[in-house]
Amino acid sequence: MDLGTIIAAIATLAIFSFLYKDNPFYRMAEHILIGLSVGFTLVLLWNSVLTPKLFVPLFSKGDLWSLIPFAMSILMLMRLRGSWSKFSKPVMALIIGAGAGLSIPARMDARILKQLSATIEPFSAMGLGQLSAGDIFNAILGLIAVLTVMVYFFYTRPDNKPVRAISQVGIYFLMIFFGATFGYTVTSRLTLLIGRIEFLLSDFLHLI
Amino acid sequence: MPAASRFSARHIVFLVVLAAVTLPLIFNLSLTHTVTPETQQVYANIDSLAAGELLLLSFDFEASSLPEVRPLAMALIRHAFSRDLKIMGMSLFAEGTALGEQTIRQVAKEYNKQYGVDWVYLGFRPQRESAILSLGESVSAEFPRDYFGTPTTGMPIFAAADSYAQIATVISIADGDMPSYWIEYAVSPHAVNLQAAVTASMATSFYPYLQSHQLKGLLAGLKGAAEYENLIERKGGGARGLYALSVSQFVIVLVIIAGNVVERVRRRRN
Amino acid sequence: MINRIAVAVAFVVGIFMVAQYFISSEISGRLYNLLLDYYQIIFAVTMIVGGISLVRYHGAQIRRDADSRVYSIVTILAVAFMVVSASIAGTGPTSPYQWAFNNLQAPMQATTFSLLAFFVASAAYRGFRVRSTPALVLALAAVIVLVGRSAFGDMISDKLPELAGWVLNNPSATAKRGILVGIGLGSVATALRVILGIERSYL
Repeated sequence: MDLGTIIAAIATLAIFSFLYKDNPFYRMAEHILIGLSVGFTLVLLWNSVLTPKLFVPLFSKGDLWSLIPFAMSILMLMRLRGSWSKFSKPVMALIIGAGAGLSIPARMDARILKQLSATIEPFSAMGLGQLSAGDIFNAILGLIAVLTVMVYFFYTRPDNKPVRAISQVGIYFLMIFFGATFGYTVTSRLTLLIGRIEFLLSDFLHLI
Repeated sequence: MPAASRFSARHIVFLVVLAAVTLPLIFNLSLTHTVTPETQQVYANIDSLAAGELLLLSFDFEASSLPEVRPLAMALIRHAFSRDLKIMGMSLFAEGTALGEQTIRQVAKEYNKQYGVDWVYLGFRPQRESAILSLGESVSAEFPRDYFGTPTTGMPIFAAADSYAQIATVISIADGDMPSYWIEYAVSPHAVNLQAAVTASMATSFYPYLQSHQLKGLLAGLKGAAEYENLIERKGGGARGLYALSVSQFVIVLVIIAGNVVERVRRRRN
Repeated sequence: MINRIAVAVAFVVGIFMVAQYFISSEISGRLYNLLLDYYQIIFAVTMIVGGISLVRYHGAQIRRDADSRVYSIVTILAVAFMVVSASIAGTGPTSPYQWAFNNLQAPMQATTFSLLAFFVASAAYRGFRVRSTPALVLALAAVIVLVGRSAFGDMISDKLPELAGWVLNNPSATAKRGILVGIGLGSVATALRVILGIERSYL
């Protein structure tokens, strides 16, 4: 058995020891994990982004346009010193503003228009007589679900009885979604456990 | 409930779960199971592509979900390489980068696929919105060098395709919300043909996109991997873990029922 | 003054990004690609700022807190190991950097999340009590998916996977659609507030 497998097994057992209670082995493993993850990401960012997109164009190719992101990066690093951190605000604003600008048309299309269109679409097919009774039922159910869930989120006046009744219907649909998600989440977590137990039984103990 | 009894109940549940996972792995059985329409759809989409067409696989996951996403990725890559499709790999998550490269490399070796010709690994890009949008302009401009630092211009695989327009399908193998970013920034502006292979816990979030045709296929969890392995007639991690998963899923149902029975009995006593 | 500049930057860049979605000219396209590149570079730098802050925090902990000193030392050593080993031996498949990732980081990360299987089971036992009709609906949906999407469900009856498929494709998916539309409207409104300078919490 190679050293890597033994180390991986010890690390796995150290994390599992948390199931009994919080203990120094677990905490040690937890801190090693945090340190390695941060180090791993820093190296990757340096190699994958900063070197090809900033350092190579600026220092190897002499691309003067790259001075702009270089200056922005310096301003960003000023966040590390309390009194200078205000100089990073315009750079933060660039990130936030760009993100906001990119998200408006993208979300309008992907999350709002296309989703509403998918809710209404079956009804156009219904008019052409192309849907079975089951499809019609599902289309109506879908429309009710979308509308009642949205009412539940947007209209929160407790004194309005009709709105409260509609919200209640929305709650039932949400319960179905959360229940289904819980069922699938349990499945997901069990799969992760299966993966780790399989590693211990197979690679480490050679039992299977 | 007194602290001591709560402590013991919790630990009994822990032991039950451990047994439900461990014993079926030791005494494993091969189960027959049906293929869901969602899995069938992903298979049909990839199967319909002609040899030489290009797939962009994005390994959008962390190491934490490896046992669940790796069988999905392996099955998809095996199917693609067996059909002589070309693969570009990349990741929008730091940890997915190394794991994605290892996965493609392993399968490429099985099928004798050549790096730079049949597959390439582009590496990592942070900031998903801009990375996804930039690929729509030019893949080689976004990734002037591959994961290993080799210049991508001149690689034969880039002769066939350099932007979404020439990529037959994009598959986001994800353990989080990343496929929805692909939908917003690749499907909406560039009409990309997108499929997702996700952990079971994320699956319910993507059904609406499947119905709105923003997603062309959805493969979910270990069961999805086992189904896909059935379709490509090549058993792997999905089939291996399916018995343990099925037993433990049933045990959880029993745990839910037991919790309610105990509650009823306790309430009646009080 | 600096705040005003920041708000102006957010406004100009935000409007440009929205407009770019609808127009396609060579100059704006080039500027757009440049901005996307800057966006990634700055994002990478912010992550590096985060990494440095973590190391500084643990450096301070070493001086301040004797009880957790050893953990802080281990954290800093782990960061240093990855950075130094990558600078000396690179990040190739046989490098110490990759070895630590494969044999320590990845297994520990996967195990940490696998712990959730136990806690989810414990939550299923203690928290899934059917005390009201919505709770009954929640439990039923969970059980249908758990059984219907398992290989045993297939073996019991072919109706079970069909039922699970119906739940996932209809009431569950459409409820999620309502959530998606709601979140979509909310996030578009927030983005507009940021661009127009009404929302300035990032300053």
